[in-house]
Amino acid sequence: MQKKGYADSELQELRTGGIIKQKQKDYFILRTRIPGGYLKADILKNYSVLAKKYGRGYVHVSTRQGIEIPWIHIKNIPKLLKGLKKLGILKGACGPRSRNLIACPGSSVCRFGLVNTEELARKLDRVAFGRDVPKKFKVAISGCLNSCAKPQENDLGFLAQGEPELDMDKCIGCTLCAKVCEKVCGRGKREPAIVMDNNKRPVALAKGGQTTALRPVYRKENCLFEGDCIRVCPVNAWKLKKAGFAVYIGGKVGRFPKFGEKIADFINELELPKIIENTVRCYNRIAETGVRFGEALEKQDIDLIKKEIL
Amino acid sequence: MSEPKIDQCLDLKGVPCPLNFVKAKLKLEGMDAGSILEVVLDDGEPIANVTASVKEEGHQILRVEKIAECWKLIIKKV
Repeated sequence: MQKKGYADSELQELRTGGIIKQKQKDYFILRTRIPGGYLKADILKNYSVLAKKYGRGYVHVSTRQGIEIPWIHIKNIPKLLKGLKKLGILKGACGPRSRNLIACPGSSVCRFGLVNTEELARKLDRVAFGRDVPKKFKVAISGCLNSCAKPQENDLGFLAQGEPELDMDKCIGCTLCAKVCEKVCGRGKREPAIVMDNNKRPVALAKGGQTTALRPVYRKENCLFEGDCIRVCPVNAWKLKKAGFAVYIGGKVGRFPKFGEKIADFINELELPKIIENTVRCYNRIAETGVRFGEALEKQDIDLIKKEIL
Repeated sequence: MSEPKIDQCLDLKGVPCPLNFVKAKLKLEGMDAGSILEVVLDDGEPIANVTASVKEEGHQILRVEKIAECWKLIIKKV
């Protein structure tokens, strides 16, 4: 091993995160971040160039929507890091810092998505990424209750919700909304929010004339705010009244996994940067070095924490 | 009560998702704008998914009816 040194400034770069020691002597992994998992194809090509030039011609796609390039020799790290920005590649984080913010595909392409997660991830990356914290801190956004980005397993999770509203004049009484609602509510696990009223009533036909049909009744207290009734309604009688985010805190996996606790519903998108800011501050206040947010929360009064974060 | 005049019929009983939607879509593509297609679909995923997909494609759904174990969807091509 060549012991003759590396400049302190060079080693300093290793401490800011994104460079992870491999088990093999003198080799490191470059961890990059891709906010929300959205990456331009041109930049993807640059990853290929780097992996061939400095690595061993392959990458590893991480579970946090980042790309890692293994087999970087220590002597190449300063050169590699200097070129990253120009290539459009963002450095990731390791150690006691907040990680890449992950997101599902969102409403730009997904038929279930209630919010545009791509735009949101890019915006929130500025406040959510690379913050100094006691251990690690992960943020995730999901565009619907399918929870593909698993916000409940992250230290801070945002889950999009949509409240439906019914325009009874448009309804043709087909019962599909009640049918999908029953499915969303676990077929009996939970009382459905939409049920069909037993009394038939007249409904206008699209082609003129009328018939009689059952009428859907909405019981908001049972609603999971998934928006499936809106999606399935053949005549757009169900509409999105409002969208927002449920906020989960303290989720983690590891040896003692726990789901995050929901502390709010229907939070406006504009409030999210503030909530991230407050949560990072709260985490630094309540947790000692090496302790995850969820563990530190166990000894706290959740009502006070809610006030601090929201 | 005026019944819409059905121009074409498509029986998709036993056809799984998403093949049922693809078949309905191809059928609609071969029809003139304004004409009416009647589709018969299985209960469960097929009726919910195909209804949502047909709507997403921009067609107008005139009626949705439960008939025995199946569903009938009346679609107006846009």
